[in-house]
Amino acid sequence: MRVVGGVTLVALAAGLVMAFGVAPREMTQGNVQRIMYLHVPSVWVAYLAFAVVLVASIVYLARGLEGADRLAHASAEVGVLFTGLTIATGSIWGKPTWGIWWTWDARLTSVSILFVMYLGYLLLRGMIEDPDQGARYAAVVGIVAAFNIPLVHFSVYWWRTLHQPPSLMKPGPGTMPGVIVAALMVNFVAFSLLYVYFVAKRVRLLRRESEAAA
Amino acid sequence: MVWKDLLVERRSKETLNALFFFALLLLFVFQFAVGPDRERLAGTLPGLLWLGFILTGLLGLGRTFVVERENDCWEALRLAPGDKSAIYVGKLAGNLLLMLVVEAILVALFGIFFNLDLAGVLPALAVVIGLGTVAFAAVGTLFAAMTSQVRARELLFPVLLLPVQAPVLLATVKATEAVLLGEPLGSVAHWLKLLAAADVIFVAVGVLTFDFVLEG
Amino acid sequence: MPDNWGFVLAAYGLAAVVLVAYWRRLVRRERALPGQSSRSTARRP
Repeated sequence: MRVVGGVTLVALAAGLVMAFGVAPREMTQGNVQRIMYLHVPSVWVAYLAFAVVLVASIVYLARGLEGADRLAHASAEVGVLFTGLTIATGSIWGKPTWGIWWTWDARLTSVSILFVMYLGYLLLRGMIEDPDQGARYAAVVGIVAAFNIPLVHFSVYWWRTLHQPPSLMKPGPGTMPGVIVAALMVNFVAFSLLYVYFVAKRVRLLRRESEAAA
Repeated sequence: MVWKDLLVERRSKETLNALFFFALLLLFVFQFAVGPDRERLAGTLPGLLWLGFILTGLLGLGRTFVVERENDCWEALRLAPGDKSAIYVGKLAGNLLLMLVVEAILVALFGIFFNLDLAGVLPALAVVIGLGTVAFAAVGTLFAAMTSQVRARELLFPVLLLPVQAPVLLATVKATEAVLLGEPLGSVAHWLKLLAAADVIFVAVGVLTFDFVLEG
Repeated sequence: MPDNWGFVLAAYGLAAVVLVAYWRRLVRRERALPGQSSRSTARRP
């Protein structure tokens, strides 16, 4: 665990170096564009987290393994964390860039729906007393939510592009130079490691809590 | 399963009256909220219609399994022989019927109160409403089963259902908008395909997972 | 175009605060469990 934690910290540090030291100052937006190295990896990790929730939920329903349930729970919690971060950083990025704190563009809208869906997942878990039942119900919601993600993507994308001028789409580098891609990748790896670390810690906490209650 | 359906039908008639009055009340509220400004009203009509469907649907579906829970019929459902997903399909069919009836009434009331000419667009509208309602009822029935035993079910049910319905709502409102303007269904084919996909996905997930919901 | 370093700091700062807070919450809850206080840092992962 400590090894993973240590490696994570190193990776995060590397990510910061890439984001601020190596990556160039973006031409149209200025340095505020560096928030992208925080915002985009966050959303990638969120999707990763929810994919894990889907798989763990299916495994739990199919096999009844408590470890799968703990994994689903932990991953959903960390996923919601990163989703919230995505929204917040997106908003902070948007204010100087577009002048507004919020806009219903494709990404922010999709991510908001994601956020509320999995927040509901966590709420459900909190409200059912029987742990077995809570685990089962949460798994069902986790599966429904995951299958809803492509529906959300298509509907929001069509909603925003078929009737709105493209200038409302989130501005980002069109064809990204290699350095920016590299910085993005490093940060993505760093955030993924952070995800693994958090989920591992959370799962361990869940396991120990259930052992203590037994 | 016929017995299940009959049970559903009988209960539906009680709720139908209450939902009808609720729909009527919604119409009044919409009229006061948006009515005076004719321009704004025309633009928001598709949204208001679906808002009406959803609000009445939340009320109607939220109570789907409450009767069973209250009367201790839950155990009977669990122990009934045969495929549990048949119960889901039965409930879904009943809920679907209930919602479609309420929606038909709402459409008629909308037509009357907001002076709409619906004659030509009715078939197309029916298609859109049908597709959208199946998605709503599919997830709604599943979630209603789960929330029926939670104390704060009136809160948890919409909280779980509404985010999942967001894309379906987008699709139905956009499609309804086009249909009410007299455009052919082909112009919103992508929305309809999305709705059809949602229907298939949600019903499939419902059928496959209902066993696990019923266990509790 | 101004650099808006304030916003950059706000975003990264917020992220740092949130992530560290979550980490501390996990650590705190784990320490609160019975039988944990005797465990030292020399635990196998």
